[in-house]
Amino acid sequence: MAEVLEIKEHHTVHQLPTADNGEGGEKSPMNISYGKTMMWYFLLSDAFTFSAFLIAYACLRLGHKWWPNPNDVFNAMPFMGHHKIPMGFVSIMTFILIMSSVFVVRAVQEGHRMNKKGVMYWMFWGILGGAAFLGCQAWEWQHLLAEGMRPFYNVFYEGKDGLTTLWNVHEQGKPLFSPGPVAFGALFFGITGFHGFHVFTGVCLNIWGFFATANGTFEKRGHYEMIEKLGLYWHFVDLVWVFVFLAFYLM
Amino acid sequence: MSDHQLTEEEYKAQVAGVWKVTVILSIVTVVEVAAALILGPHLPKWIMNPFYAIASIAKAFFIIGEFMHLKYEKRAFMLSLGLPLFFLLWAIIAFGVEGNYLHKLLYLIK
Repeated sequence: MAEVLEIKEHHTVHQLPTADNGEGGEKSPMNISYGKTMMWYFLLSDAFTFSAFLIAYACLRLGHKWWPNPNDVFNAMPFMGHHKIPMGFVSIMTFILIMSSVFVVRAVQEGHRMNKKGVMYWMFWGILGGAAFLGCQAWEWQHLLAEGMRPFYNVFYEGKDGLTTLWNVHEQGKPLFSPGPVAFGALFFGITGFHGFHVFTGVCLNIWGFFATANGTFEKRGHYEMIEKLGLYWHFVDLVWVFVFLAFYLM
Repeated sequence: MSDHQLTEEEYKAQVAGVWKVTVILSIVTVVEVAAALILGPHLPKWIMNPFYAIASIAKAFFIIGEFMHLKYEKRAFMLSLGLPLFFLLWAIIAFGVEGNYLHKLLYLIK
Protein backbone atom coordinates (compact mmCIF):
# COMPACT_ATOMS: atom_id res chain seq x y z
CA MET A 1 0.00 0.00 0.00
CA ALA A 2 2.84 2.35 0.86
CA GLU A 3 4.24 1.82 -2.63
CA VAL A 4 0.95 2.72 -4.29
CA LEU A 5 0.75 5.95 -2.30
CA GLU A 6 4.26 6.88 -3.39
CA ILE A 7 3.37 6.43 -7.08
CA LYS A 8 0.32 8.66 -6.70
CA GLU A 9 2.37 11.33 -4.95
CA HIS A 10 4.93 11.33 -7.72
CA HIS A 11 2.33 11.92 -10.41
CA THR A 12 0.91 14.95 -8.64
CA VAL A 13 4.42 16.41 -8.17
CA HIS A 14 5.16 16.24 -11.87
CA GLN A 15 1.94 17.85 -13.07
CA LEU A 16 1.79 21.58 -13.55
CA PRO A 17 -0.42 23.30 -10.99
CA THR A 18 -3.70 24.01 -12.76
CA ALA A 19 -7.03 25.12 -11.39
CA ASP A 20 -9.92 22.73 -11.88
CA ASN A 21 -11.96 25.33 -13.68
CA GLY A 22 -13.82 22.96 -15.95
CA GLU A 23 -11.66 23.72 -19.01
CA GLY A 24 -9.85 20.40 -18.89
CA GLY A 25 -6.39 21.83 -18.22
CA GLU A 26 -5.92 19.71 -15.14
CA LYS A 27 -5.66 16.55 -17.22
CA SER A 28 -2.78 15.55 -19.53
CA PRO A 29 -4.45 15.35 -22.97
CA MET A 30 -1.88 12.98 -24.49
CA ASN A 31 -1.89 10.67 -21.45
CA ILE A 32 1.93 10.62 -21.46
CA SER A 33 4.26 12.03 -18.82
CA TYR A 34 6.04 15.36 -19.23
CA GLY A 35 9.50 13.77 -19.23
CA LYS A 36 8.70 11.26 -21.96
CA THR A 37 6.94 13.89 -24.09
CA MET A 38 10.00 16.13 -23.95
CA MET A 39 12.32 13.23 -24.77
CA TRP A 40 10.17 12.52 -27.85
CA TYR A 41 10.30 16.13 -29.02
CA PHE A 42 14.04 16.28 -28.44
CA LEU A 43 14.38 13.17 -30.59
CA LEU A 44 12.21 14.79 -33.27
CA SER A 45 14.56 17.80 -33.34
CA ASP A 46 17.54 15.42 -33.48
CA ALA A 47 15.88 13.66 -36.41
CA PHE A 48 15.84 17.05 -38.20
CA THR A 49 19.59 17.43 -37.61
CA PHE A 50 20.36 13.99 -38.98
CA SER A 51 18.02 14.57 -41.92
CA ALA A 52 19.87 17.78 -42.77
CA PHE A 53 23.09 15.78 -42.98
CA LEU A 54 21.48 13.02 -45.02
CA ILE A 55 19.88 15.57 -47.36
CA ALA A 56 23.32 17.12 -47.93
CA TYR A 57 24.67 13.62 -48.59
CA ALA A 58 21.90 12.76 -51.09
CA CYS A 59 22.20 16.09 -52.90
CA LEU A 60 26.02 15.97 -53.20
CA ARG A 61 26.12 12.31 -54.14
CA LEU A 62 23.47 12.63 -56.85
CA GLY A 63 25.10 15.81 -58.15
CA HIS A 64 28.45 14.10 -58.71
CA LYS A 65 29.44 12.46 -61.95
CA TRP A 66 30.83 9.43 -60.17
CA TRP A 67 30.74 8.15 -56.59
CA PRO A 68 32.75 5.34 -54.91
CA ASN A 69 30.89 2.00 -54.76
CA PRO A 70 30.34 1.12 -51.06
CA ASN A 71 30.85 -2.60 -51.79
CA ASP A 72 34.43 -1.80 -52.85
CA VAL A 73 35.18 0.69 -50.08
CA PHE A 74 33.75 -1.06 -47.02
CA ASN A 75 34.91 -4.63 -47.55
CA ALA A 76 37.48 -5.17 -44.79
CA MET A 77 36.96 -7.46 -41.83
CA PRO A 78 39.05 -7.71 -38.65
CA PHE A 79 41.26 -10.83 -38.36
CA MET A 80 40.67 -11.66 -42.02
CA GLY A 81 43.77 -9.99 -43.44
CA HIS A 82 43.33 -9.02 -47.08
CA HIS A 83 40.21 -11.10 -47.75
CA LYS A 84 37.54 -8.88 -49.20
CA ILE A 85 34.12 -9.34 -47.61
CA PRO A 86 31.78 -6.63 -48.91
CA MET A 87 29.19 -5.54 -46.33
CA GLY A 88 30.35 -8.22 -43.86
CA PHE A 89 31.65 -6.10 -41.01
CA VAL A 90 28.97 -3.43 -41.25
CA SER A 91 26.22 -6.09 -41.15
CA ILE A 92 27.70 -7.36 -37.89
CA MET A 93 27.72 -3.79 -36.53
CA THR A 94 24.05 -3.36 -37.51
CA PHE A 95 23.13 -6.60 -35.80
CA ILE A 96 25.03 -5.62 -32.62
CA LEU A 97 23.15 -2.31 -32.42
CA ILE A 98 19.73 -3.95 -33.02
CA MET A 99 20.42 -6.52 -30.29
CA SER A 100 21.59 -3.81 -27.89
CA SER A 101 18.32 -1.99 -28.54
CA VAL A 102 16.35 -5.18 -27.81
CA PHE A 103 18.20 -5.64 -24.50
CA VAL A 104 17.23 -2.13 -23.42
CA VAL A 105 13.57 -2.83 -24.34
CA ARG A 106 13.76 -5.83 -22.04
CA ALA A 107 15.19 -3.59 -19.27
CA VAL A 108 12.22 -1.21 -19.71
CA GLN A 109 9.78 -4.14 -19.46
CA GLU A 110 11.43 -5.39 -16.29
CA GLY A 111 11.18 -1.83 -14.97
CA HIS A 112 7.40 -1.95 -15.37
CA ARG A 113 7.41 -4.97 -13.08
CA MET A 114 9.68 -3.17 -10.56
CA ASN A 115 12.24 -5.95 -11.06
CA LYS A 116 15.50 -4.23 -10.07
CA LYS A 117 17.74 -7.23 -10.83
CA GLY A 118 16.11 -7.69 -14.25
CA VAL A 119 16.64 -4.04 -15.17
CA MET A 120 20.31 -4.24 -14.17
CA TYR A 121 20.82 -7.49 -16.07
CA TRP A 122 19.39 -6.21 -19.37
CA MET A 123 20.93 -2.73 -19.04
CA PHE A 124 24.31 -4.42 -18.62
CA TRP A 125 23.90 -6.26 -21.93
CA GLY A 126 22.61 -3.11 -23.60
CA ILE A 127 25.68 -1.17 -22.49
CA LEU A 128 27.96 -3.99 -23.64
CA GLY A 129 26.30 -3.93 -27.09
CA GLY A 130 26.75 -0.17 -27.39
CA ALA A 131 30.41 -0.41 -26.38
CA ALA A 132 30.97 -3.23 -28.89
CA PHE A 133 29.44 -1.09 -31.64
CA LEU A 134 31.75 1.81 -30.77
CA GLY A 135 34.73 -0.57 -30.87
CA CYS A 136 33.69 -1.79 -34.34
CA GLN A 137 33.33 1.77 -35.56
CA ALA A 138 36.76 2.68 -34.19
CA TRP A 139 38.24 -0.27 -36.09
CA GLU A 140 36.50 0.71 -39.32
CA TRP A 141 37.64 4.34 -39.06
CA GLN A 142 41.19 3.24 -38.28
CA HIS A 143 41.17 0.95 -41.31
CA LEU A 144 39.99 3.72 -43.65
CA LEU A 145 42.48 6.23 -42.19
CA ALA A 146 45.28 3.71 -42.73
CA GLU A 147 44.21 3.43 -46.39
CA GLY A 148 44.78 7.18 -46.67
CA MET A 149 41.16 8.38 -46.32
CA ARG A 150 40.82 11.77 -44.63
CA PRO A 151 37.80 14.03 -44.06
CA PHE A 152 38.99 16.22 -46.96
CA TYR A 153 40.94 13.69 -48.96
CA ASN A 154 39.46 10.71 -50.77
CA VAL A 155 41.67 7.92 -52.10
CA PHE A 156 38.87 6.01 -53.86
CA TYR A 157 38.79 7.24 -57.45
CA GLU A 158 37.16 6.31 -60.74
CA GLY A 159 39.33 3.64 -62.34
CA LYS A 160 38.81 1.70 -65.57
CA ASP A 161 35.13 1.28 -66.57
CA GLY A 162 34.05 3.37 -63.59
CA LEU A 163 35.31 0.75 -61.12
CA THR A 164 36.17 1.97 -57.64
CA THR A 165 39.95 1.91 -57.34
CA LEU A 166 42.11 2.59 -54.32
CA TRP A 167 44.93 5.09 -54.82
CA ASN A 168 47.77 3.61 -52.79
CA VAL A 169 49.21 6.67 -51.06
CA HIS A 170 52.03 4.62 -49.54
CA GLU A 171 53.41 3.50 -52.93
CA GLN A 172 52.09 6.03 -55.45
CA GLY A 173 52.59 9.10 -53.29
CA LYS A 174 49.99 11.66 -52.34
CA PRO A 175 48.72 13.92 -55.14
CA LEU A 176 47.94 17.52 -54.25
CA PHE A 177 44.35 17.07 -55.35
CA SER A 178 42.19 14.33 -53.90
CA PRO A 179 41.98 11.43 -56.42
CA GLY A 180 38.26 10.83 -55.77
CA PRO A 181 35.26 13.06 -54.86
CA VAL A 182 36.34 15.05 -51.77
CA ALA A 183 32.85 15.21 -50.26
CA PHE A 184 32.83 11.43 -49.75
CA GLY A 185 35.32 11.60 -46.85
CA ALA A 186 33.76 14.63 -45.19
CA LEU A 187 30.26 13.14 -45.37
CA PHE A 188 31.32 9.69 -44.23
CA PHE A 189 33.40 10.81 -41.25
CA GLY A 190 30.98 13.61 -40.42
CA ILE A 191 27.78 11.57 -40.41
CA THR A 192 29.09 8.31 -38.93
CA GLY A 193 31.05 10.42 -36.43
CA PHE A 194 27.95 12.35 -35.37
CA HIS A 195 26.08 9.07 -35.02
CA GLY A 196 28.99 7.54 -33.08
CA PHE A 197 28.91 10.56 -30.77
CA HIS A 198 25.23 9.80 -30.09
CA VAL A 199 26.10 6.16 -29.38
CA PHE A 200 28.84 7.29 -27.00
CA THR A 201 26.44 9.65 -25.19
CA GLY A 202 23.86 6.86 -24.99
CA VAL A 203 26.38 4.42 -23.52
CA CYS A 204 27.39 7.01 -20.89
CA LEU A 205 23.73 7.67 -19.98
CA ASN A 206 22.97 3.95 -19.84
CA ILE A 207 25.95 3.38 -17.52
CA TRP A 208 24.54 6.10 -15.28
CA GLY A 209 21.11 4.40 -15.46
CA PHE A 210 22.67 1.07 -14.52
CA PHE A 211 24.34 2.49 -11.40
CA ALA A 212 21.27 4.51 -10.41
CA THR A 213 19.25 1.28 -10.63
CA ALA A 214 21.86 -0.56 -8.55
CA ASN A 215 21.69 2.30 -6.06
CA GLY A 216 17.94 1.83 -5.70
CA THR A 217 17.18 5.38 -6.88
CA PHE A 218 14.28 4.32 -9.11
CA GLU A 219 13.00 1.76 -6.62
CA LYS A 220 12.67 4.53 -4.02
CA ARG A 221 10.95 6.72 -6.62
CA GLY A 222 8.44 3.95 -7.17
CA HIS A 223 8.83 3.72 -10.96
CA TYR A 224 11.46 3.17 -13.64
CA GLU A 225 10.42 5.97 -15.99
CA MET A 226 14.02 7.17 -16.29
CA ILE A 227 14.95 3.80 -17.83
CA GLU A 228 12.11 4.32 -20.32
CA LYS A 229 13.51 7.73 -21.30
CA LEU A 230 17.02 6.31 -21.66
CA GLY A 231 15.46 3.54 -23.74
CA LEU A 232 13.76 6.05 -26.07
CA TYR A 233 17.09 7.76 -26.71
CA TRP A 234 18.85 4.43 -27.25
CA HIS A 235 16.25 3.19 -29.78
CA PHE A 236 16.54 6.49 -31.62
CA VAL A 237 20.30 5.88 -32.01
CA ASP A 238 19.45 2.47 -33.50
CA LEU A 239 16.85 4.09 -35.74
CA VAL A 240 19.34 6.60 -37.12
CA TRP A 241 21.79 3.80 -37.82
CA VAL A 242 19.13 2.12 -40.02
CA PHE A 243 19.23 5.21 -42.27
CA VAL A 244 23.01 5.71 -42.09
CA PHE A 245 23.34 2.05 -43.10
CA LEU A 246 20.91 2.67 -45.96
CA ALA A 247 22.59 5.84 -47.24
CA PHE A 248 26.25 4.85 -46.91
CA TYR A 249 26.42 1.08 -47.30
CA LEU A 250 23.37 -0.16 -49.21
CA MET A 251 22.67 2.52 -51.82
CA MET B 1 2.30 3.80 -19.94
CA SER B 2 -0.66 2.51 -18.03
CA ASP B 3 -0.50 2.63 -14.26
CA HIS B 4 -2.17 -0.70 -13.55
CA GLN B 5 -0.08 -3.65 -12.49
CA LEU B 6 0.81 -6.01 -15.35
CA THR B 7 -0.52 -9.52 -15.10
CA GLU B 8 1.83 -12.41 -15.79
CA GLU B 9 0.09 -13.14 -19.14
CA GLU B 10 0.36 -9.52 -20.32
CA TYR B 11 4.03 -9.47 -19.41
CA LYS B 12 4.71 -12.72 -21.27
CA ALA B 13 2.82 -11.43 -24.33
CA GLN B 14 4.89 -8.22 -24.31
CA VAL B 15 8.18 -10.12 -24.06
CA ALA B 16 7.13 -12.46 -26.88
CA GLY B 17 6.16 -9.40 -28.98
CA VAL B 18 9.62 -7.86 -28.56
CA TRP B 19 11.41 -11.04 -29.62
CA LYS B 20 9.10 -11.36 -32.61
CA VAL B 21 10.04 -7.84 -33.75
CA THR B 22 13.71 -8.69 -33.20
CA VAL B 23 13.40 -11.64 -35.57
CA ILE B 24 11.59 -9.47 -38.16
CA LEU B 25 14.28 -6.76 -37.99
CA SER B 26 17.06 -9.34 -38.37
CA ILE B 27 15.37 -11.01 -41.34
CA VAL B 28 14.80 -7.67 -43.12
CA THR B 29 18.47 -6.73 -42.58
CA VAL B 30 19.68 -10.09 -43.88
CA VAL B 31 17.42 -9.75 -46.95
CA GLU B 32 18.75 -6.23 -47.60
CA VAL B 33 22.39 -7.32 -47.40
CA ALA B 34 21.75 -10.46 -49.48
CA ALA B 35 20.00 -8.36 -52.14
CA ALA B 36 22.91 -5.89 -52.17
CA LEU B 37 25.41 -8.72 -52.69
CA ILE B 38 23.48 -10.99 -55.07
CA LEU B 39 21.16 -8.71 -57.05
CA GLY B 40 23.00 -5.40 -56.56
CA PRO B 41 25.69 -5.89 -59.24
CA HIS B 42 23.15 -7.02 -61.87
CA LEU B 43 20.11 -4.79 -61.42
CA PRO B 44 20.02 -1.02 -62.06
CA LYS B 45 20.15 1.43 -59.16
CA TRP B 46 16.64 2.73 -59.77
CA ILE B 47 15.23 -0.70 -58.87
CA MET B 48 17.56 -1.51 -55.96
CA ASN B 49 17.54 1.86 -54.17
CA PRO B 50 13.75 2.13 -53.73
CA PHE B 51 13.78 -1.46 -52.48
CA TYR B 52 16.43 -0.65 -49.83
CA ALA B 53 14.56 2.53 -48.87
CA ILE B 54 11.23 0.72 -48.41
CA ALA B 55 12.88 -2.06 -46.37
CA SER B 56 14.60 0.53 -44.14
CA ILE B 57 11.39 2.49 -43.61
CA ALA B 58 9.67 -0.79 -42.66
CA LYS B 59 12.42 -1.40 -40.09
CA ALA B 60 11.97 2.15 -38.79
CA PHE B 61 8.22 1.54 -38.31
CA PHE B 62 8.91 -1.58 -36.25
CA ILE B 63 11.52 0.18 -34.08
CA ILE B 64 9.34 3.24 -33.47
CA GLY B 65 6.10 1.29 -33.00
CA GLU B 66 7.23 -1.59 -30.85
CA PHE B 67 10.57 -0.67 -29.22
CA MET B 68 9.76 3.00 -28.65
CA HIS B 69 6.18 2.01 -27.82
CA LEU B 70 4.59 4.70 -30.00
CA LYS B 71 1.99 2.21 -31.26
CA TYR B 72 0.41 2.26 -27.81
CA GLU B 73 0.35 6.06 -27.31
CA LYS B 74 -2.53 8.43 -28.08
CA ARG B 75 -3.27 9.15 -31.72
CA ALA B 76 -2.80 12.91 -31.23
CA PHE B 77 0.71 12.28 -29.91
CA MET B 78 1.54 10.02 -32.85
CA LEU B 79 0.40 12.73 -35.26
CA SER B 80 2.38 15.46 -33.49
CA LEU B 81 5.54 13.45 -34.29
CA GLY B 82 4.46 11.94 -37.59
CA LEU B 83 3.34 15.06 -39.45
CA PRO B 84 6.66 16.95 -39.13
CA LEU B 85 8.44 13.80 -40.31
CA PHE B 86 6.10 13.60 -43.30
CA PHE B 87 7.18 17.09 -44.42
CA LEU B 88 10.78 16.08 -43.83
CA LEU B 89 10.31 13.16 -46.21
CA TRP B 90 9.14 15.64 -48.81
CA ALA B 91 12.30 17.74 -48.25
CA ILE B 92 14.52 14.68 -48.73
CA ILE B 93 12.82 13.81 -52.03
CA ALA B 94 12.92 17.46 -53.21
CA PHE B 95 16.65 17.79 -52.54
CA GLY B 96 17.34 14.45 -54.19
CA VAL B 97 15.57 15.65 -57.33
CA GLU B 98 17.57 18.89 -57.17
CA GLY B 99 20.85 16.96 -56.91
CA ASN B 100 19.87 14.82 -59.87
CA TYR B 101 19.10 17.95 -61.90
CA LEU B 102 22.51 19.39 -60.98
CA HIS B 103 24.09 16.19 -62.23
CA LYS B 104 22.29 16.46 -65.58
CA LEU B 105 23.16 20.12 -65.89
CA LEU B 106 26.86 19.56 -65.26
CA TYR B 107 27.57 16.33 -67.09
CA LEU B 108 24.82 15.33 -69.48
CA ILE B 109 23.79 18.49 -71.37
CA LYS B 110 26.47 19.54 -73.78
